[in-house]
Amino acid sequence: MKPDLSVTLGSLRLRNPVMSASGTFGYGLEFAPFYDISRLGAIVVKGLSLAPTHGNPPGRIVETASGMLNAIGLQNIGVERFIEDVAPRLADAGATFAANIYGRTVEEYEEVARRLSGLPSLAAIEVNASCPNVKEGGIAFGSSPEGVSRLTGRVRNATDKPVWVKLSPNVSDIGSVAQAAEGAGADAVSLVNTLVGMAVDHRTRRPKLSNVTGGLSGPAIKPVALRMVWEACKRVKIPVIGIGGIQTAADALEFLLVGASAVQVGTANFRNPGVCVEILEGIEAFLREERLSGIGEYRGKLAL
Amino acid sequence: MPSSRMRTAEGRIVCNEGHGGIFYRLEAALPDPVGFVPGQFAMVSGWPGNDPLLPRPLAIFRSAAGPKGKGTVEFVYKVVGRGTALLSGLHPGAPLSLTLPLGRGFDLGKEGRLYWLVGGGVGFSSVFPAAAALARKRADFEMFLGSRTRDQLPPKEWTPGGTAPGRLHLCTEDGTAGFFGRVTDAVTERMGLLSASEASRLTILSCGPWEMLKELALGAANRGVEMQAALESHMACGFGVCWGCVVALREDEKTAYRRVCKEGPVFDAREVVW
Ligand SMILES: Cc1cc2nc3c(=O)[nH]c(=O)nc-3n(C[C@H](O)[C@H](O)[C@H](O)COP(=O)(O)OP(=O)(O)OC[C@H]3O[C@@H](n4cnc5c(N)ncnc54)[C@H](O)[C@@H]3O)c2cc1C
Ligand SMILES: Cc1cc2nc3c(=O)[nH]c(=O)nc-3n(C[C@H](O)[C@H](O)[C@H](O)COP(=O)(O)O)c2cc1C
Ligand code: FES
Repeated sequence: MKPDLSVTLGSLRLRNPVMSASGTFGYGLEFAPFYDISRLGAIVVKGLSLAPTHGNPPGRIVETASGMLNAIGLQNIGVERFIEDVAPRLADAGATFAANIYGRTVEEYEEVARRLSGLPSLAAIEVNASCPNVKEGGIAFGSSPEGVSRLTGRVRNATDKPVWVKLSPNVSDIGSVAQAAEGAGADAVSLVNTLVGMAVDHRTRRPKLSNVTGGLSGPAIKPVALRMVWEACKRVKIPVIGIGGIQTAADALEFLLVGASAVQVGTANFRNPGVCVEILEGIEAFLREERLSGIGEYRGKLAL
Repeated sequence: MPSSRMRTAEGRIVCNEGHGGIFYRLEAALPDPVGFVPGQFAMVSGWPGNDPLLPRPLAIFRSAAGPKGKGTVEFVYKVVGRGTALLSGLHPGAPLSLTLPLGRGFDLGKEGRLYWLVGGGVGFSSVFPAAAALARKRADFEMFLGSRTRDQLPPKEWTPGGTAPGRLHLCTEDGTAGFFGRVTDAVTERMGLLSASEASRLTILSCGPWEMLKELALGAANRGVEMQAALESHMACGFGVCWGCVVALREDEKTAYRRVCKEGPVFDAREVVW
């Protein structure tokens, strides 16, 4: 019997738990040459802002031990062009897709969310509450439960779409931040975003990124991400989407095991553009092998 | 017909050997032949494990159709760091992961033009395929190759387009072969001798270190010579989804960051903010 790969995230049912992570998958259509993009649980597109954004000067990426740092600076085409040019083509391709959004102010977040609400084909809005450059009253939104709560509440009121809040790992108590999102009406939380890091050249004595610091991703962050997802799962009732260093079906299963309802795959897409489908097939093979009827029989079953 | 559709492919190494001590030639067998435009590249990895994590961009040097509908692809590379060192240690028979063909190559489409191909260091890896294509079209071209010293020039047997007199100009910074000096000096000197009408018929196709390309671009702009430059950049994905590889381009009155892997690696030199 074919195992049931479908998962539910609140009111939303996905055909499987494998999604792409924002910023590592373009606008989704770029992967159509490699496989049928409608096979994914969902595609999460590059972070969208109200106006197109130029991003940071070059010196945007640095490879590190089993990982990479990026400081792209959220270069994107802006929400309007996404709605007009990209969303219809994603819908035509039969893809389930979510929009990752960010703003410089709470009002910008609200406005981007409002504009996206009119897109019938859009499955969800993922709020990037972890951008270190976004400040309000001197507090970065993502770094405190209060900031996350305020941002979540405002976006929640601006849209009828499911709202996923993407959390920063650069906090001391991830559980409290996840609870704050839940309390303010989030339909799910996704974590983790990148860990703030830095690379310098000891000879030239210069930083390797134009932005000096950047976000660490890839297998190097997986243990940290797994621990944070596990902690968040214990503290909230809403679904948790696990992200961070996932490269194989086994990695994805580990996140499901500690309680995640779904996963997102990021940096691994760079080395192997076909990786999401390989992970998907690997999960199905595992469920068969273990004679499990579906994800539900496995999720959160960590034996402590 | 070799397909030039972008795809991932599991190749198998046929040959991976050093030449002249500094360049390696890597040939891999592929499930099907690859069509490419000179200047296009592949993302290449093959070492086990996660470190280095990212594949490395290499220009497609040659490709061919093999027996039974299969294909081969060739790269030449210089060992400069961990990724290329690991690559150089892979043996025939080992698997090679590829995504290819990528990016926008040289525009060789225009009739009646004179081409100067300029390669600095390992930059000949994208200049030679252009030379081979121009030779097949019987187009009018000359080639300038520069290196620090004689031993770092590409092996003769790799040089395409025959040895018609006046066609190949070698330059070494230490004077051990050909023109004594940098390839930019040789090209700039020759440009100075052109009539205005010759200059307007000339297109420079170039690949090499940033400083070399920059100097060439300034010289070409001064003489009203068209130039296409194949740029390098650190890349994570190579197919346009990470926005990590950008370069600043002049567009109308503004500058914009464009992806070297997608809108490039070949750009109109006049548009690049050098
Ligand atoms: C489109 C494209 C085509 C290329 N084609 C070829 C080719 O045909 N043959 C070839 O030998 N090389 C080519 N390169 C360069 C090649 O990709 C790099 O040399 C390689 O990635 C270095 O990897 P590494 O791990 O050995 O070095 P690393 O350990 O990553 O780096 C070693 C040193 O090289 C520098 N470096 C690394 N990558 C680049 C880069 N992309 N541009 C400039 N400096 C860099 C680093 O800053 C460092 O100083 C190409 C690059 C691009 C973008
Ligand atoms: C190049 C790059 C760009 C990213 N851009 C975004 C973004 O726009 N919005 C966002 O919420 N996360 C962004 N991320 C974070 C990823 O979505 C993901 O949370 C993180 O990389 C950890 O997962 P991974 O280890 O699988 O890559 C980006 C990551 C990378 C590597
Ligand atoms: S290398 Fe990823 S966009 Fe160019």
